[in-house]
Amino acid sequence: MSHRLQIGFVFIILYIGLNHTIYPDLIFQLTNTGHWEVVLCQGLLQLTLIWIYIKGLSYFPGQDVIDIYLKAGKLIAFIILIPFVISLTALIAYDIRLHTEVIISVFLSRTPYWPVLVLLFFITTYIALNGLGTILRSSVFIFLIVIPLMLFVILSSLINFDWHNATPVWHSSFDFLMEKKFFYLMGFAAFLPLGFMAYKTKLTFGFIFLAWVCVMISFLSVVYIPLFIFGQEAVMTLPFSMIRAISSVDIRWFIFNQQTIFLALSLIGFTVILNAVLLWMIGRIMHKMLKWKKVKTSYWIIVFSIIAFIFALFVPSRSWTDKWFLWSAGAQVYFMIVIPFSTLICGFVMKRGRVSYEKG
Amino acid sequence: MVNVVKEIQARFSRHDDFFFEEEQKDKMPFYLMGFNTLIDLAKSNLYVRQVAASSSSVNELFINLSDQLDVDTEKLIKAILEGKLVIVLGNGKRNAIVDPVSRNLRRNIDKPQSESPLQGPLDAFVEDIKTNIGLIRKRLDTERLCHSSHEVGKLASRKLSMLYIKGRAPDTLIKKINKQIKQIDTDIETVDDLNKYFGQRSSIVSHVFLTELPSEVTHLLKKNRVVLLLDNYPFALVFPNLLLDMFCIASDRNYPSLLAYALRTLRVVGAVINVLLPALYVAIVSVNPEILKIDLALFVSESRRGIPFPALLETMIMVVLVDLTLEAIVRLPKSVGPTITMVGGIILGQAMVQAKLVSPLLVIVVTAIVISGSVVSGIQNSLYIRLLRYPILILASIYGVLGVFIGFLFTIVYLASLTSNGIPYTAFRIRERGTQNES
Repeated sequence: MSHRLQIGFVFIILYIGLNHTIYPDLIFQLTNTGHWEVVLCQGLLQLTLIWIYIKGLSYFPGQDVIDIYLKAGKLIAFIILIPFVISLTALIAYDIRLHTEVIISVFLSRTPYWPVLVLLFFITTYIALNGLGTILRSSVFIFLIVIPLMLFVILSSLINFDWHNATPVWHSSFDFLMEKKFFYLMGFAAFLPLGFMAYKTKLTFGFIFLAWVCVMISFLSVVYIPLFIFGQEAVMTLPFSMIRAISSVDIRWFIFNQQTIFLALSLIGFTVILNAVLLWMIGRIMHKMLKWKKVKTSYWIIVFSIIAFIFALFVPSRSWTDKWFLWSAGAQVYFMIVIPFSTLICGFVMKRGRVSYEKG
Repeated sequence: MVNVVKEIQARFSRHDDFFFEEEQKDKMPFYLMGFNTLIDLAKSNLYVRQVAASSSSVNELFINLSDQLDVDTEKLIKAILEGKLVIVLGNGKRNAIVDPVSRNLRRNIDKPQSESPLQGPLDAFVEDIKTNIGLIRKRLDTERLCHSSHEVGKLASRKLSMLYIKGRAPDTLIKKINKQIKQIDTDIETVDDLNKYFGQRSSIVSHVFLTELPSEVTHLLKKNRVVLLLDNYPFALVFPNLLLDMFCIASDRNYPSLLAYALRTLRVVGAVINVLLPALYVAIVSVNPEILKIDLALFVSESRRGIPFPALLETMIMVVLVDLTLEAIVRLPKSVGPTITMVGGIILGQAMVQAKLVSPLLVIVVTAIVISGSVVSGIQNSLYIRLLRYPILILASIYGVLGVFIGFLFTIVYLASLTSNGIPYTAFRIRERGTQNES
């Protein structure tokens, strides 16, 4: 299977891994009607950023973001990438912690946090240690296993739908664009890893656009399933509304008590890949930036995974997890703007430089 | 007697099967030497005499018998060890290495022993490497089927042949394998000895896929693979081994394609069931009974009433016992094998349930995994799948359904991380092709 297709799968996995927990809750707090407008606005803004990012990367065939920054200067690389590594570590810690909460609420209610955290961190680190090739290959299999589960969950939830819950469909004002929560919402995006995989194959916008369409469908489904089932009033008060919505579904003929386990399992599959990619990025950045010969990429991955584990372990409560996860997602927004634009500027400047050099 | 003869005799003084016979032609004595365990002496002697009768001189006799004339003593000794007949003239001035009538130490081409192709060709590889290559050549009569032969080993040399289709197998792969074969400096006794040279990996999955069927090999050759054949080994080693080989068999293609796909899907389902089912049993019984509908959960707990073991131990006992039975059936002579099946069936099935040591549900689970484990192609594949279920079983006993899923993810990632010479184990096919023309 070609790398491009694999990267497409990973792109979808990364997004779905992020958007099932807090994302719908945020949307419900942002608006009472016309939720699709918020989702679409956020999606289109991201698409623009992705376009800029890919445009910027296309100036440097066969190179990833780290190479580009190192070319521009070591100082620039440090200023942009080291904070990025820190924010990624935080994101990993709180994302895994968040999913641990989901797991415990769904099927391990008597288990303390730390064994589940250990398991999730262990598998994440193991995947990251195996490198990008393994991540890409295994993500195809995980995609093929998990997507049928997800489709089943989504289709089975149809029986509880009340279509009137989503009315009115239109929402005339765009005030939400100015709110702080919309800014957090922007953080639920995972296109930055694309730039780190760019050395494997040439990325094309058309392909990513197709993946983006799949992602948008998934975003709309996580927002509208709880909405159709509970209605706006109820959904605003529920944490993890998507998971609650699915657990309300009861199919008589089915042997399992609730469909939530399938949702939770598929979420874990995606989250594990998401965090493995982030860890792998950290390892790659640190290895390329510092170039200490004796320190291999794998050591960096292990060290940062331990740091993230400690972060995740010492979160005192649920509300803290939510808050910190939001902050680390918000921090991502900064990098989502800085990295694509700086790549584009670097590419533009270098191209101009090359042209003038050739002319001269 | 001349020096050459004396030297050879001295070398083989401890070999009682070494023969030394004197013959005459035109009153000139010449000596025949070789091993009577490798050479059919009576027939070879007769052959030499017939040639001698039709030749006018001793010189002509030597020329008629062989084209390997007047070689040095070391080569003569090597030829004797290889089962050739060596003729030395009485004065030692001439010698020749003759292809004798060999003793028949070979098996005839027979039905496959470890695979059973349904509605496919029934011939299988044998020990003799030339017969094996012949079986492949007969099916692929193209000049693009290339064959390079090597002799490897330190103490005893062993023939190793590499076959590929020019223009199909990637050039880089052929180059790499050639280089790796040239690096071999130890005796190759088993496939694992050879495996080491294709990249160090302490893995349960081999670099090569073993098959007994020439039809399978020709199919895989056309699919850009490289095939290695070892002398005295009745299996072809297909490089690289891919995950899909386990599920797709060449003889599937004799059925309508829809049927073939259904069969392959069935094999995948079998493999997944084999890996996951015991772990799911443990998870549902001991950690997550609440995920089942209430009547089903009650049924499960009912079936386990009065059983003294925890679910993990109960399952472990049964799974290990079944693996023992499978292993015992392979080891035992065919006449005793059925006894084990019967005793195993009665003890495992009836007695353990009646004694309330294991639940009847587990017996069903175990039966399912034994059956499902055998649907994949290749014994070594079904062996490693059997091994994969143990770690998942342990994870399941700690984390329940989550453990099963994470264990499964581990398995997938582990398999995806394996590569042989840069080709990932989980690749669906080898897309890269070699060049057709010599460059």
